[in-house]
Amino acid sequence: MSIEQTTGNPDFASEAQLKRKALFRTLRIKALQISLAAALLISWQVLTDHKIMDPFFFGKPSGVWTQLWTWIHNGTAAGSLWYNAYVTLMESTYGFLIGVILGVIFGILLGRNRVLAEVFAPYIKIANSIPRVVLGSIFTVIWGLGSTSKIALAFVLVFFPVFFNAFTGTHEADKKLIANARLLGASKRQVTRKVVLPSALSWIMASMHVSFGFAIIGAIVGEFLGSNHGLGLLIATAQATFNPNGVYAAMLIIGIMALSAEWLITQLENRLLNWRPNQNSGAEL
Amino acid sequence: MANGVHVKFSNVSKRFRTPKGDWYQALKDLDFEIHPGEFVSLVGPTGCGKSTALTLVSGLEFPSLGTVEVEGKVVKDIDTSTGFVFQHDATFPWMNVANNVASGPRFRGLPDIDVEALVKSWIGKVGLTGFEKHFPHQLSGGMRKRVALAQCLINEPRLLLLDEPFSALDVQTRAIMTEELMQLWEQTGSTVMFVTHDLEEAIALSDRVLVLTAGPASVKANFKIDLPRPRKARDIRFQPEFIKIYQEIWEVLREEVDVAYQRQLIASK
Ligand SMILES: Nc1ncnc2c1ncn2[C@@H]1O[C@H](COP(=O)(O)OP(=O)(O)OP(=O)(O)O)[C@@H](O)[C@H]1O
Ligand SMILES: [Mg+2]
Repeated sequence: MSIEQTTGNPDFASEAQLKRKALFRTLRIKALQISLAAALLISWQVLTDHKIMDPFFFGKPSGVWTQLWTWIHNGTAAGSLWYNAYVTLMESTYGFLIGVILGVIFGILLGRNRVLAEVFAPYIKIANSIPRVVLGSIFTVIWGLGSTSKIALAFVLVFFPVFFNAFTGTHEADKKLIANARLLGASKRQVTRKVVLPSALSWIMASMHVSFGFAIIGAIVGEFLGSNHGLGLLIATAQATFNPNGVYAAMLIIGIMALSAEWLITQLENRLLNWRPNQNSGAEL
Repeated sequence: MANGVHVKFSNVSKRFRTPKGDWYQALKDLDFEIHPGEFVSLVGPTGCGKSTALTLVSGLEFPSLGTVEVEGKVVKDIDTSTGFVFQHDATFPWMNVANNVASGPRFRGLPDIDVEALVKSWIGKVGLTGFEKHFPHQLSGGMRKRVALAQCLINEPRLLLLDEPFSALDVQTRAIMTEELMQLWEQTGSTVMFVTHDLEEAIALSDRVLVLTAGPASVKANFKIDLPRPRKARDIRFQPEFIKIYQEIWEVLREEVDVAYQRQLIASK
């Protein structure tokens, strides 16, 4: 007789049972999430309908919906809604990508090179202490109303958190593992690529989660400060015409954008960090 | 190799900064030679400085006083002809078993086809066939230790530093791995510095056993093990010569273990 393996052993939960358990858990959480959203929306609608909250300031869900409908069907003052959303998305994405790439490169470079790190330290501290959103005005002056100034602002906002995390991650890389790699024959560059980068990756991924949000902020604020297109412009226009529903409608689209980006980053993270122990199993500690 | 000496410690002292800010001396006037192809065990009470001695040979740390020479040259940097299996395993957590074992040859630029064959044979030798795709966190402590061994041995180092490589293994696997190591060593003729707390293991494997003093470590005694080779680690420990030398070494070692233990008692009061 063959040795009884885990499947088919009556003492273990069957695959189907495990799946059903997991499904129930997901469904329960989803149901709770949806009820929470529904409760918020309904109370918002009811409160504004009865003028307990002033719809002039707070807008109302039905108004937001109508505004979206109008934008989708009739376009906005600055062209079609999709084009405006595209402009903002493009600006954030470019700023994000350039910021992440340069942040990772500089973070690892300075993390691996003590002299360089010590030379640059005071300058980085100064640069980091400047309220970076203010730079948006300067960028608008330099590059004008086009996308470049927004990409630049998004970039500055993304660069620093990614840089600091890459730098810290590089420093936190286990010295034992680096020693082991060197003894196994790795050159300094191989150590950087095959040991330091993978161990800094959880730090870098963590910063990427927050920094796409920063990239969107950069793009929107840039558009606010002066632009011909983009969701930031729609918000600025709505604000100028006392139309809170327009502000919320644009916010809704931005939210969808941010969530989709977050989803993509999570996929990337799961793929790159598939070697980590599963965080979602076992006891809740 | 200069006058048939592979590793030479000349009056080596090593001190470390303690968390309090003063110095702790881990090695004091450590002085010994190891010949090419020799298998030498270092034994001594816990915390006496055995691992420290090995890091000085590997070039990961440098002596505070004195010199360590390998193949006639003072150790100034990491030398990739030296292999080091750390006391605490240092497998790469983001690489599966196969990639961990392959990392040395890949770093050294061996062509992929050769690497593949080598890796396969080494995974077999350490008994991990079937676990190629597992990540370190999915392995037991003993399995990780075997990955570390294969990862090191695959590079065929001329000088092998083994810091308690079998300490996380069960008795049976340990016996198998001991025999494997002995066979490998007899085939490759590399020089081995072996740190262990298991005196039987040390005697069974070694040409020589160095007993170190309780910290700071210096050489307390040097025992030549004249048991005939090839040895069968499993049977050898019942031979009368083995038992005799075991008792001799144990007497010397016990004095140092007692010193270390007394110090601990005083320190904990
Ligand atoms: N980096 C360090 N900084 C400060 N002290 C250290 C450092 N490395 C080792 N020591 C001290 O040196 C002494 C010797 O340490 P070592 O690791 O060499 O001992 P060991 O003989 O290998 O012990 P064990 O058998 O328990 O592994 C210890 O007291 C330890 O506290
Ligand atoms: Mg040790």
